[in-house]
Amino acid sequence: MQIVYGVFILLLVSFGAVVMSLEILSSNLMSPYFGGSIYIWGSIISSFMVHFSIGYILGGHLSRRRPRISVLAAFLVLCSLWVILIPAFHKPLCEFISDRVVDVRLGSLIAMNLIFLVPVSIMAMVSPYIIGIIAAWRRQSGFTAGMVLFISTVGSFAGTNATAFYLIGLFPVSRIVVGLGIICLFVSLITLALRVDRRIRIPDANDCA
Amino acid sequence: MRTKAVIVLALFAALWLFPTQAPGEDQTLYEGDSIYHHITIRQDGTERCMIFGRQRDLRQTCIDLAKPDESIFEYTAMMFGGFLFRPDAKKVCLIGLGGGYIPAVFRRHLPRVQLQTVEVDPLVEKLARQYFAFSVPPGQALAIDDGRQFLKRNRERYDQIWLDAFNSDYIPAHMTTKEFLALVKVRLTEGGIVIQNIFCWSKFYDAQVATFRTVFAKVFVFEGQKSGSCIIVASDRADIEPKGLPNEARKLGGRIGGIDLRAEIGKCKVPPVVKDAPVLTDDFNPANLLLMQKK
Repeated sequence: MQIVYGVFILLLVSFGAVVMSLEILSSNLMSPYFGGSIYIWGSIISSFMVHFSIGYILGGHLSRRRPRISVLAAFLVLCSLWVILIPAFHKPLCEFISDRVVDVRLGSLIAMNLIFLVPVSIMAMVSPYIIGIIAAWRRQSGFTAGMVLFISTVGSFAGTNATAFYLIGLFPVSRIVVGLGIICLFVSLITLALRVDRRIRIPDANDCA
Repeated sequence: MRTKAVIVLALFAALWLFPTQAPGEDQTLYEGDSIYHHITIRQDGTERCMIFGRQRDLRQTCIDLAKPDESIFEYTAMMFGGFLFRPDAKKVCLIGLGGGYIPAVFRRHLPRVQLQTVEVDPLVEKLARQYFAFSVPPGQALAIDDGRQFLKRNRERYDQIWLDAFNSDYIPAHMTTKEFLALVKVRLTEGGIVIQNIFCWSKFYDAQVATFRTVFAKVFVFEGQKSGSCIIVASDRADIEPKGLPNEARKLGGRIGGIDLRAEIGKCKVPPVVKDAPVLTDDFNPANLLLMQKK
């Protein structure tokens, strides 16, 4: 059982941290093309909120249909690969948009959504997915929905501070983003390799829907 | 007991509602927020200042109402030192309006120069007009836009580009990078110069000089004697030498309005010394972190 909780905590902390790190880095990704105004932050935060909402709905829904960590991990592998590729396509994409869209609010909103809709929505699936699995698992434990959100938020706190106060001063943004993608990929593959689902007994898993 | 408390409260309320202010003392004429800044306008005697961000912030723009011609801040005087390098400049682009002191000097003393000012914050323009008698005379133009966006979209070229968009506690990081300076270079005419106003004491200064060096052939620094301000002057022409500056100053009559160009020459350092500073790029840009670190 320890391993199951260990994997849950690993997923929650690392994706909680990465999602906020990406949010902070977004301002560096956007400002060369759309300026450094508060509009950029408006676009960044509102885009992330939309992606979170999509992830919450999808994560909750999927965890009910298929309450298996391997399904979530497969999505996370896709999300990690996307994050690793962001530095390769972000510059031409932002240049293309800023050349055509004069309004920086609209331009940065479009860019934010094209870059982050897929990976951030998938990252946002982690918490509701794990809550769904715990609910289906019906195991009496201290691992409540509140605990899941707490652990993920602690991760987000660490990710925000580490990025804003240290990482930006130490590495180029492109390298930080690739590094975050590699961490995500690593965590997803560990999750798959540990075959956590076999350790969780879920009564009539496929009937839950 | 109760009535006493009520009286005391009423007195406090009255003090809060009608703060006593003796004339001539430090007075707040305006305080408010735009989408970019917290802006305060204060007047102390005849000196009126527009202050961005925190009150203790060093970057502000002031005008002496009695002597509007006088450059209260050393950095503005040093920036006009740019004319020692390009005295024949006909077109100048200024990024960062503030209270509009620099455009006012151009209007009064350099009327032959076409000045294009770019200011990102519409409220700054409004306050400059209202409190600092800023106006856009014929021959000058004002655009409300992000400096980098403006230079990118408008293909106009300038003899001098002045960058004055920085606070002491925040800089628009996208206007510090190698990519931005490469864009500035494209928007300069043959032999044109770029002038940037920054503070000397932070690690950001070293990084900015190092970044300028990757784009421009010649980089000079005017180091403030009375203030912590430094002015970077950069040119693509390798043959520009400060030896010729006194000559140029003489040609200009030694002065631009209240600014003594000869006094500014002594502040010019070539080449400025920086030690292992990082080059700022769109990808690696800790400008605001460096700004907080003392050298």
